[in-house]
Amino acid sequence: MKHRSILEYANFRWFKLALVLCAVTGAVYIWHEPPLKPYGGTWLGYTLGTIGALLILWLLYFGIRKRRYKSNVGSAQGWLSAHVYLGVALLVVATLHTGFELGWNVHTLAYVLMVLVIVSGMYGVFIYLRVPRDLTLNAGEDTQSSMLMHIADIDREMREKALSLPDKLFAAVDQSISNTRLGGSFGRVLSGRDRTCATAAAVKELPGLAKGLSGEQANLNKEVYQLLLQKNELLQRVRKDMRYKAVLDLWLYIHVPLSVALLAALTVHVVSVFIYW
Amino acid sequence: MKLQIITQTTGRSGRVMQQKRLVQGDWIRVGRSASSEIHLPDPRVALNQGLIMDRGGIVYTEGEAGIVNPGSTTRKAVKSIRLKVGASIEVGPYKFTVIEPPAGYDGAITIELVRKLEEATTGDLRSRATKLSLASLHLPKRSVAWALFIFVAVIFFAIPAARVLDLPWRAASEKNSITGDRFWNPGPVILAHQPIEMKCAACHEVAFEHVKDRACLECHKNIGHHVSQEMLRPVSAKPGEGLFEGQRCTSCHVDHKGVKTTHKDNDRLCVDCHKDVRGKSNQASALNVTDFAADHPPFRLTIPTETGLKRVRMDGKAPIKESSNLIFPHDVHLDPKGIKSPSKGRVKLECAACHAPNASKNTFEPVTMKKNCQECHQLQFEPAVTSREVPHGNARDAKVVVEEFYANLALNGVKDSFVKAFGVESEGLLRRVGEPTEDQRKVVLSMASKKADRVAQELFEVRSCKTCHEVKREEKEGQVDWAVAKIRANNLWMPAVRFDHKAHAQAPCADCHNVAKSKSSTDVAMPSIDDCRKCHGGSKHTLEKTITSNCLMCHGFHDTKHPWDPTFKPKGATRVAEGPTGVR
Repeated sequence: MKHRSILEYANFRWFKLALVLCAVTGAVYIWHEPPLKPYGGTWLGYTLGTIGALLILWLLYFGIRKRRYKSNVGSAQGWLSAHVYLGVALLVVATLHTGFELGWNVHTLAYVLMVLVIVSGMYGVFIYLRVPRDLTLNAGEDTQSSMLMHIADIDREMREKALSLPDKLFAAVDQSISNTRLGGSFGRVLSGRDRTCATAAAVKELPGLAKGLSGEQANLNKEVYQLLLQKNELLQRVRKDMRYKAVLDLWLYIHVPLSVALLAALTVHVVSVFIYW
Repeated sequence: MKLQIITQTTGRSGRVMQQKRLVQGDWIRVGRSASSEIHLPDPRVALNQGLIMDRGGIVYTEGEAGIVNPGSTTRKAVKSIRLKVGASIEVGPYKFTVIEPPAGYDGAITIELVRKLEEATTGDLRSRATKLSLASLHLPKRSVAWALFIFVAVIFFAIPAARVLDLPWRAASEKNSITGDRFWNPGPVILAHQPIEMKCAACHEVAFEHVKDRACLECHKNIGHHVSQEMLRPVSAKPGEGLFEGQRCTSCHVDHKGVKTTHKDNDRLCVDCHKDVRGKSNQASALNVTDFAADHPPFRLTIPTETGLKRVRMDGKAPIKESSNLIFPHDVHLDPKGIKSPSKGRVKLECAACHAPNASKNTFEPVTMKKNCQECHQLQFEPAVTSREVPHGNARDAKVVVEEFYANLALNGVKDSFVKAFGVESEGLLRRVGEPTEDQRKVVLSMASKKADRVAQELFEVRSCKTCHEVKREEKEGQVDWAVAKIRANNLWMPAVRFDHKAHAQAPCADCHNVAKSKSSTDVAMPSIDDCRKCHGGSKHTLEKTITSNCLMCHGFHDTKHPWDPTFKPKGATRVAEGPTGVR
């Protein structure tokens, strides 16, 4: 079966629904004649506001639904597809609800938070469509732990072989074995790079140190160097793998907290509007 | 190709065990995949690691030319090794050793796992590389979410709401000045409301309740309603049946929508009722209207009559005449050759000579005798002797002035004046030598009285008053008096309309008021709706080269007493130039 992305789920069912929602609200907005200018307090404003608020609550519920693995109400794929399309439609509904009236107040705060949540979500969709392919392309049939295993294996073999090499060479190899870092900090995890990688340094250093070697030692060094190159390449792949996985996660660190803040701002928006009705 | 594969394992006791099997095929696959002919079950081996094939002797190949095999450890080079007897290669943690094949075989390979998985997994990199994901770095997600939630809820709700809703922590809220209900303000209020913009409770009196009209009327005390109270709620109407029932100030006026206005100049609001206005109220006197250009009845003029103000529609059914009791031919005064002035010869008059704009220039000051007529229409009665004039406005006063003048002249007049006035060679009685006799006194005063009667009669009936006024002679017990008919000159033909003459100053007066040929003051020279439509289109701007003109351009919704209306006209203040009393 051909792989279908969540965007194409059920033959674009949710896309069509979102499109209809946007088209209908847009048409009513154009047709509507408010007493002064469009805003949230006309009958259309209240209608759009109610639709928007219900949509927000439903979209927030996705955070709970996606953890209910036993639930049979629609598939997780369907829920995500709907979450994405109706989330984008919310942008239209809520913007028309504002009537393009923005200011320095809690109402606009709610709107801005909502826009940030939606934009981060769109970025998330982009990431989810793109990064898994890169991830597969990079890791191939390996997994992070199999690559690490492989590196550990190389380390062992390399150490064994490098024992018979001159001290300087062994020291370089040993540096690579004991000082190579993977991850550990936000910058290294997300950049997928390590400028001070001990293995990369050893790769650079080794050919210079190995000048003047001959016979058996030269062959041995060649083998060690091969292993070092292999390890370096594996390290790069592990780092990329780490980076891709981090990128897949990072946007959620914005999307989720902001959506919870939005829930607060939305509640304040609704209550304060009706206090000063 | 036929290969003998010998899998060699070393038991715990160190005993070496060998397992032999036959593998046959043109291509022999080597890899982790269970479908490989040579199956190497170790995670460090790629799924399809390599191939063994016959190329004039057996050859081990990894990768394919031109294709980077993602499973390959090098990912680049095509590695190809000829497997001669005695050769040894490493495939992942496995060691392949080629040995002499038994008879009937193309080759034989011993396969041995040289680096066990357990040994590899104790490598120290793995123990160091524990933080490879964002989650393992303990980045906050849930805690940030809660913090943001509480921040928004406290700053934007708990603190301001404490003051507004009188919540238990009100005192604490009042101490802080960071935030308040100003963050609830959805937008700027109109300029007039800005002094109270921060006093939300001035309009929003009770929480969770609509703004009530009462709050508006607190300041807007004098605002008028669209129609009279009787029309608003007729006696016969049942509850809920009155006009504008259920409408509030905020039905049309919304604030916090910018500094300029609270309502929209939208004909729909008017036309909703006025398209069938008599269906809305049986007391309505207006006709239906939907658009100025397309569907608007002829104008109605308000004309003062003997029995009060009357509204007459300019529908052409009957000629409209004004009965001002004034005799004034516009044509004589606007004669292009000019009109004779007592002091300046012939003078050519313009409209502005009599019709002076008022202070705000939107309409005109009433025409008065003193300001506009008397320079030419002087009220002298004995020009040979004096330039004095009789007072204007009261017939009786005028007559008394004439009588007193001649009596005084008869008694005190110098010779010259006496002669000119009475035509007798003499002088004032009291100026003559000696005490005047009773007879002399009677003769002189009777002469003065007769002269005064004659002059007054001429003044009223022939020369001055009669020129402009309808004068009636009344005789009572031998005493003659004159009655001058009250002037009812109209000064406000359409009192409810918002018409600004200043805004129309580029047009000559005659474009709308053509009086050059008017011989009588009964002529009405008000423009018809067709005159207005030459420039003014409807609200939908359907007519080319016309000004889009909606209802509110000429009409006010609240009555004309509306003090915020720039064309404010207190009712009755300047509408009619009343009769010949006062300064008129």
